[in-house]
Amino acid sequence: MLNIEKRLENDIWTLILTGEIDASNSVELDAAISEVVQEGAKSILIDCAALDYISSAGLGVFMSYLDEFEENNVKMVIFALKDKVFQVFHILGLDQLIIIRPTKEEALEG
Amino acid sequence: MLKLPTPNIGKISILVAILTWLALLFVDITRIFQSVNQMENTLAPEISYILEILFFILVYIFYNYSINKNENIDFLNLIWRGVSTGLLATLISFGISIFYLMLGESKLGSDPLLSNFFYHVNFAFITLFLISTSLLWKHLILYQKSKKVVQQWQAFEVLMLMSMFFVFINKNDFDYSFIFGLVFLSIFSASLSVNLKWIPYLTFKEKWKSILFLVIILVCTTFLFSSLSSYSDIGVTSFVNLTDNLFLIGLFAFVFIYALFSFLVTLFNLPTSSVFEQKLVEAINFQRLSQSIKPGQDESQVLDILIDSSMSASYADGGWLEILDKDNIPQMIQKRFIDEEIREEIVALFQTIKPFSEFDWSLEDNDTKKFYGKIPHNIYKSAFLIPLVVNKKTIGRMYLVKEVRDGFNKEMINIITTFVGQASISVENYRLLNEAIKTERYKEELKIAQRVQQSLLPKELHHNEKFEICGFSVAADEVGGDFYETKDLDEGVFAIIIGDVSGKGTSAAFNMSQMKGIFHSLVQLKPNPGEFLYKANIALSQCLERNHFITTSYFLLDTSQQTIRYSRAGHCPTLFYDHSQDKAAYLSADGLGLGIVRNANYRNYIHESEFSFEKEDILVLYTDGIIEATNKKGEEFGYDKLKSTFEKYKNLSADKIQERIINQVYQFVGEGGIPDDDFSIMVIKFNP
Repeated sequence: MLNIEKRLENDIWTLILTGEIDASNSVELDAAISEVVQEGAKSILIDCAALDYISSAGLGVFMSYLDEFEENNVKMVIFALKDKVFQVFHILGLDQLIIIRPTKEEALEG
Repeated sequence: MLKLPTPNIGKISILVAILTWLALLFVDITRIFQSVNQMENTLAPEISYILEILFFILVYIFYNYSINKNENIDFLNLIWRGVSTGLLATLISFGISIFYLMLGESKLGSDPLLSNFFYHVNFAFITLFLISTSLLWKHLILYQKSKKVVQQWQAFEVLMLMSMFFVFINKNDFDYSFIFGLVFLSIFSASLSVNLKWIPYLTFKEKWKSILFLVIILVCTTFLFSSLSSYSDIGVTSFVNLTDNLFLIGLFAFVFIYALFSFLVTLFNLPTSSVFEQKLVEAINFQRLSQSIKPGQDESQVLDILIDSSMSASYADGGWLEILDKDNIPQMIQKRFIDEEIREEIVALFQTIKPFSEFDWSLEDNDTKKFYGKIPHNIYKSAFLIPLVVNKKTIGRMYLVKEVRDGFNKEMINIITTFVGQASISVENYRLLNEAIKTERYKEELKIAQRVQQSLLPKELHHNEKFEICGFSVAADEVGGDFYETKDLDEGVFAIIIGDVSGKGTSAAFNMSQMKGIFHSLVQLKPNPGEFLYKANIALSQCLERNHFITTSYFLLDTSQQTIRYSRAGHCPTLFYDHSQDKAAYLSADGLGLGIVRNANYRNYIHESEFSFEKEDILVLYTDGIIEATNKKGEEFGYDKLKSTFEKYKNLSADKIQERIINQVYQFVGEGGIPDDDFSIMVIKFNP
């Protein structure tokens, strides 16, 4: 089960992810991000405080936007990752490419 | 052993019957000859009686055989056979009378020998006719037989057999016992003759034909009977009277009574025969509808039968059928006897009529919504509408129209409702079957994929006497994205790789096979682990979808130098056990999965490490399926449990360690639990 909530505050989009991301629902995450990009978002925060699990398919979604974001100067920050979920990012090495912050405040600072 | 040819009962019986008849003729002629020449009569009449009985029985056997052989002939053909023998016998008898009429008072005309000969001919053909017709009647009587009727018939046959021998008691006297026997047989025949179940199955035309045939048989029987009686009246004393035989007269009665009953019943059945035919057609249609559609055939075939049978059941003047297509738009697929223009008029009319203006395709209780009654149209005065419902889902509607008012009665509505129900079931079955076939094909394909993929995992892992190695992999679905490989690079150097393709199932399996190809291409160049990852990343960047990546760990194991060089590309950290310090730890080296950064920058993320190993050190390589295996409480197996499990079994051999870890994972997941990701493990243990 995955629930995605989208919020727009002061030109910054925040996606609040709740539940688990696996192969079956990773398309929902993809759709949500691409929607926000369509809106012309330049700054996207991903709130993962309530994200319990992410599979490789979910990581693949974040990964697939890296080039596009770099080209278009879109800033994506993931924050409040649970330890276990952070480990998954870390082992794959994605933490070297995606900005990951412990709290929303730090995420806003960049 | 000598094998006797199977005797042809038909031929033998008819041959012997002819011989018997000749003997009978000979005996009787001899007797007349003796009496004419006033010689002593040496031949007792009993000889004639015995030959006569023998003749009856043989004819019976012959006809019984020949009718049984043609088991499947229809009723009309059966009766026709009776008619033809009857006509033949009558013709011969008639011919003999004409012949005698022509002879007049001449000497030849009163010659006892000649008249005796003709008498025998007449007798033979009458016997043939009576016995064959009786056996035909037997077939008709026993149509749709019950046990009671069969017993009754058997009793009748026994009685007839007994009546043959009656002649020995009675000596051909026409006395009271004879009359009593005849009356008894006639009553028995009459009671048998009420079995006329075959008549309703005749069509109207066939009934007319059978009436004609039965009349012919009645006429023949009467004529033959009267011609035989005339012989008895001549009363030539020297004749042994063959025909005043209870058996023969009884048969006359039976043949006549059954023909009469059949004639009358068929006649009175004529007016109602169309109703019965209609019901029969409905029953057949119902059966055709209920036969499931064979794969490859179209469901429109069932709908075709549906509208035809519904129209014939209601005598409708026009009708059509519409079925929802893929986009849920009703499409007319069957139309009968109605112009498109008029049809559209009526459809427009229906929009304004109440019951179906409320009709909603998406409702669940449509199967109870039928409409029948008047419609204000100048040609068609009444109409009937019924929806086709499959699994509470309305798939179509059938329209029937008639030119008369109130053209649809309750019986028609009932039978059509049943037709529609049955057709809906057939269509549903057909659709389900098609689904099932499709699924079955996919399963087959997956099985093939599974077999191919299993052959992609190595059966033998390269190694030498310095270490033992084993590997295991299981996919969550039919196919998976995990892989491992080894390669002997000579001089005691071995390349070892383990990896995991993102995602699972078929897409992962395709990418896994690409990775295997890349490994085998690159490993020939004997690259350093870092170089391997760099080149593999470039190669994969060309073929991986943008949101897919591969994690891997690549090892170069030098058994002569006792060193291990390795690089990690986002793969789970390897567990290394240092025997001298008795300590297990995860090898931490930085790295990034393959296919994430698809340019030369990837080099910045590659790190290569080297360390040396000692005897009895152990390496445990695995994929994240093990770490992320989840139990019923939602807890993951995790790194700590993997390490503690390993430590428990570290003193065992490599394959035993692997086995114990796998068991532990399964135990953790729980009874009947299935891993929801592919998982693989390899254990390398250096020999002491």
